[in-house]
Amino acid sequence: MLRDATIGQFFPGDSYIHKMDPRAKLVFSFGAIIAIFVCKTFESLAVVTLAAILCVFVSKIPFKTIFKGLKAVIFVIIITAVIQLFYVKTGETLVEFWKIKITTGGLSNSIFICVRIIVLILYSSLLTYTTSPTSLTDGMERLFSPLKIIHVPVGTLAMMMTIALRFIPTLNDEIGKIMNAQKARGADLGNGSVINRAKALIPIFVPLFVNSFRRAYELAFAMECRCYHGGEGRTRLKIMTLSWRDYISFTVLAVLYAGIIILNHFFTHVI
Amino acid sequence: MNDDIIISFKNVNYRYESDDEEISLPLAIKNFNLDIHKGEFIAILGHNGSGKSTIAKLSNAIIVPESGHVLVNGMDTADEDNELKIRQTVGVVFQNPDNQLVATVVEEDVAFGPENLGVPQKEIRQRVDEALKALGMYEYRFSEPHKLSGGQKQRVAIAGIMAMKTECIVLDEPTAMLDPQGRREVVKYMQKLNKELGLTIVLITHYMDEAVLADRIIVMTNGEKVAEGTPKQVFAEEKILENAGLSLPDSARLASDLRKKGMKLPDGILTPDDFINAYSNYVNK
Repeated sequence: MLRDATIGQFFPGDSYIHKMDPRAKLVFSFGAIIAIFVCKTFESLAVVTLAAILCVFVSKIPFKTIFKGLKAVIFVIIITAVIQLFYVKTGETLVEFWKIKITTGGLSNSIFICVRIIVLILYSSLLTYTTSPTSLTDGMERLFSPLKIIHVPVGTLAMMMTIALRFIPTLNDEIGKIMNAQKARGADLGNGSVINRAKALIPIFVPLFVNSFRRAYELAFAMECRCYHGGEGRTRLKIMTLSWRDYISFTVLAVLYAGIIILNHFFTHVI
Repeated sequence: MNDDIIISFKNVNYRYESDDEEISLPLAIKNFNLDIHKGEFIAILGHNGSGKSTIAKLSNAIIVPESGHVLVNGMDTADEDNELKIRQTVGVVFQNPDNQLVATVVEEDVAFGPENLGVPQKEIRQRVDEALKALGMYEYRFSEPHKLSGGQKQRVAIAGIMAMKTECIVLDEPTAMLDPQGRREVVKYMQKLNKELGLTIVLITHYMDEAVLADRIIVMTNGEKVAEGTPKQVFAEEKILENAGLSLPDSARLASDLRKKGMKLPDGILTPDDFINAYSNYVNK
């Protein structure tokens, strides 16, 4: 199940978006995500949606991949839509039976929210699809570095994220090994009721956790040997510079906001 | 003070802390004395629990002795102000390569040390490239560590230490988790660093065939140094090795067994090459 989900994965490439500075990508995605919530009319939402689809085209990520990512959250979308449909009771009544009443207001609301969620996922997954985890953490570290003034340990947090990312494949391998070891001892994994299956996870996770602590301990030694002493005074191998691509993306974002505000002003509000 | 000595252990005692305060654990290192000279290739041999890994941690201020002193280029490891300088002089490579690599890309991992030291960006680039080339890992610089073989990972770990421009590299059982192929790779590059770049190498191991390559061997049992000398001297002391729970290198053992059967082979056979020479001489005679 987890293997199908493409959310958070990175697809190497050399498109315009791949080449953008991670900081600019972060700013753009967060800006666009906020823009989704600024939208109040179908017209403005359409503009944000079109912009998202345009971004997908530019990134050269196949739509198939994007849909795969959406499939993982389909339940969230359906549930939200259904709740909106039944609970919003403005506008004319379309269908009414027993205690349930569906209105035009409910219908447009639920469509609006669905589109919102889909576009939100589109923007955020586009960010991770086109940015390697390392440059993403680097970007975040540099973007949040002003917070150092108020004593937020930005460097340390970024280091933690890098290490977490570095150990995902290692721990993944280890889970496989432990599962095989437990199966060899006759453990029955993945059969029976939900409770039984949950119980079967205990002999996998206990050794995994114990090993992780040992690993963490050894890693700490190794990091000390390499003179790690917190984020203070560190230099970096790679230096980030903003290029014309990034400035264009900022312009696009500004235009997007202007469009939304104008459209919000002239058309009828849905929400 | 002798300028030639890079690490000096003086009457070092060390004891691990026990989880239970009531119980005090026995000394892991007892009255240990050793001077390591610049450019030397030393092997420290010992059975599990002989305290040989503790020596690695003592050598660059990861732990400090309970009594006695460890001096690195004359700096006492007990003084916290010296810590960074000591770690720039003596680097330690550990057993499990997976638990030493920090970054998700090889070259960024090698850059980790210099980054921590605040080396300017241009020089980091240069140091990383040099270190990766010295370990034959330059073409893998953009790879992800988890996709490399064990031997390659360990070479990246050594490059990471080298990029800090350390004068001495202590390797704590670097080949214990590797397959024979990976072990050969690591040993080859270790010798190269010692011979060609003049780095001081301290190899902690329980593989006799690796120890044979060293200039000097130290044998440890229960935290004490029980033998010291050139490979030829140390491997002549079969009794001491036996007591330390160690066996002779394969070639030496074969030669020794053949001698017992009455074959007249010369002393001091340690490597396969030695054996082949001695044996062909014997046969031809």
